[in-house]
Amino acid sequence: MGRYHRPLALADALATLAGGPATVVAGGTDVFPARLGRPFAEDVLDITGITALKGIGLDGGWLRIGALATWSELAQAPLPPWLDGIRRAAREVGGVQIQNAGTVVGNLCNASPAADGVPSLLALDAEVELASSAGLRRIPVAEFVLGNRRTARRPEELATALLIPEPGPGARSSFEKLGARRYLVISIAMAAAVLEPAADGTVGRIRVAVGACGPVARRLPALEAALRGLPLGPDLAGTVTPAHLDGLSPIDDVRGTAEYRREAALVLVRRAIRTLTEQA
Amino acid sequence: MSGTLNRREVLSGSVLGVAAAGLGGAALGAAGPDAVAATPAAAAQGSPARAEIVLRVNGRDRLLAIDPRTTLLDALREHMALTGSKKGCDHGQCGACTVHVDGRRVLSCLTLAVAVQGKAVTTIEGLSAGDRLHPMQQAFIAHDAFQCGYCTPGQIMSAVACVHEGHAGSPAEIREYMSGNLCRCAAYPNIVAAIEDARNQMERS
Ligand SMILES: Cc1cc2nc3c(=O)[nH]c(=O)nc-3n(C[C@H](O)[C@H](O)[C@H](O)COP(=O)(O)OP(=O)(O)OC[C@H]3O[C@@H](n4cnc5c(N)ncnc54)[C@H](O)[C@@H]3O)c2cc1C
Ligand code: FES
Ligand code: FES
Repeated sequence: MGRYHRPLALADALATLAGGPATVVAGGTDVFPARLGRPFAEDVLDITGITALKGIGLDGGWLRIGALATWSELAQAPLPPWLDGIRRAAREVGGVQIQNAGTVVGNLCNASPAADGVPSLLALDAEVELASSAGLRRIPVAEFVLGNRRTARRPEELATALLIPEPGPGARSSFEKLGARRYLVISIAMAAAVLEPAADGTVGRIRVAVGACGPVARRLPALEAALRGLPLGPDLAGTVTPAHLDGLSPIDDVRGTAEYRREAALVLVRRAIRTLTEQA
Repeated sequence: MSGTLNRREVLSGSVLGVAAAGLGGAALGAAGPDAVAATPAAAAQGSPARAEIVLRVNGRDRLLAIDPRTTLLDALREHMALTGSKKGCDHGQCGACTVHVDGRRVLSCLTLAVAVQGKAVTTIEGLSAGDRLHPMQQAFIAHDAFQCGYCTPGQIMSAVACVHEGHAGSPAEIREYMSGNLCRCAAYPNIVAAIEDARNQMERS
């Protein structure tokens, strides 16, 4: 068997990773179920003792979500309305017991196509902070998730936080998830949207992303461009057409067919946009 | 509290081989809150490395010497003879293994025992005050909120936390915030009724 490490200092964790590969464990809600009946052969780096990785807070125009911040902490933190979308997602990840242990950063690093946090992170233009004993680097989430269970994280790196830039005044966000039942369910498709309204009551900037419709969640740039400048009213959602979703590449699987996913994604995107216009 | 272990509590653990052998002061000292728990020295010989840890369960400190990858659920059931927490699925899907760690509900099947050192673990066995049942336990009986009963310890631990969190305001809210606990017997309507009833009593007291 491998070694089990539970350091209390970040520097010790980075030294461990510099010394050789280890499976990082945060909330363990993705790692442990995947290992049922198959004990760890490799080294394990449990990061739950590292206080420096805790917490969620706004700082100098950025929201910082530490690597140990759980979905429950995100749902309960006093945060501005432009984070409503990802906080909606926080309540849809598993049940409360999963939300009490599972981390936002773990959801991203696991890089499941059905990870509920990723569409919101893409729509929020979030960046990942990666640390190694050589130093820190930051890359956009869009460049971090490379494919199904593949990320740009190097083996010697630890993701230490997510950083989300504060949007313009009046910004708001939404999230819609479709599963085979209401709660405790893996997404068939989900959509996230972030709106920065213009002063004249039209769409200033809008960012829309769809998940579970391809190996990685994706933004919809054609749709975002088409919506810019349109009036922020009840008709906005209806302007979304199937062609705006052409960039998606859904598959057939046990949870639904590609055809069904494409249709569901269209409905979810419209709903996410309707929620934004109703919040006005 | 880690200094208050007595010999009988130590011996009542079922992991005596290494626990007893390692009972020197150094072992106890190293098992304080958040201590690095790995003792991988034995790995070289191919025998499992053991971690000596103190777990605070239902107000009592227990010394265990376990493989550091042992889940809290296995530590409770296999090493402490606390079999109230159930193993329904062992991978986070059912909620039967729900316990409280520092008052928050977590799945003991997805939690390593070494990671909760220095924290207060409460299981279904620790909920009642002696023979006096917790209002939630009483309400589950009064409302017939189970059939086979296998999910019940997890339901009750989750329900107590649900009320403490302030998430038991309405039947719809209870259903959302109890969604991590499945019941194969589908006693859901009675579970929701029991939680509403217990919530009222817990708020009064
Ligand atoms: C019953 C159940 C229901 C679930 N429901 C949902 C759901 O509805 N939606 C959803 O999206 N997910 C769901 N999940 C999956 C999981 O709970 C989430 O993805 C969660 O956010 C993972 O976080 P974690 O901290 O538990 O990750 P872990 O399991 O600890 O880690 C996940 C992965 O990320 C890596 N990792 C974690 N932290 C870091 C770090 N700081 N640096 C580098 N690598 C890191 C790990 O090595 C591992 O590969 C569910 C899981 C279960 C068991
Ligand atoms: S046994 Fe832990 S959730 Fe099923
Ligand atoms: S009472 Fe049988 S599983 Fe719930």
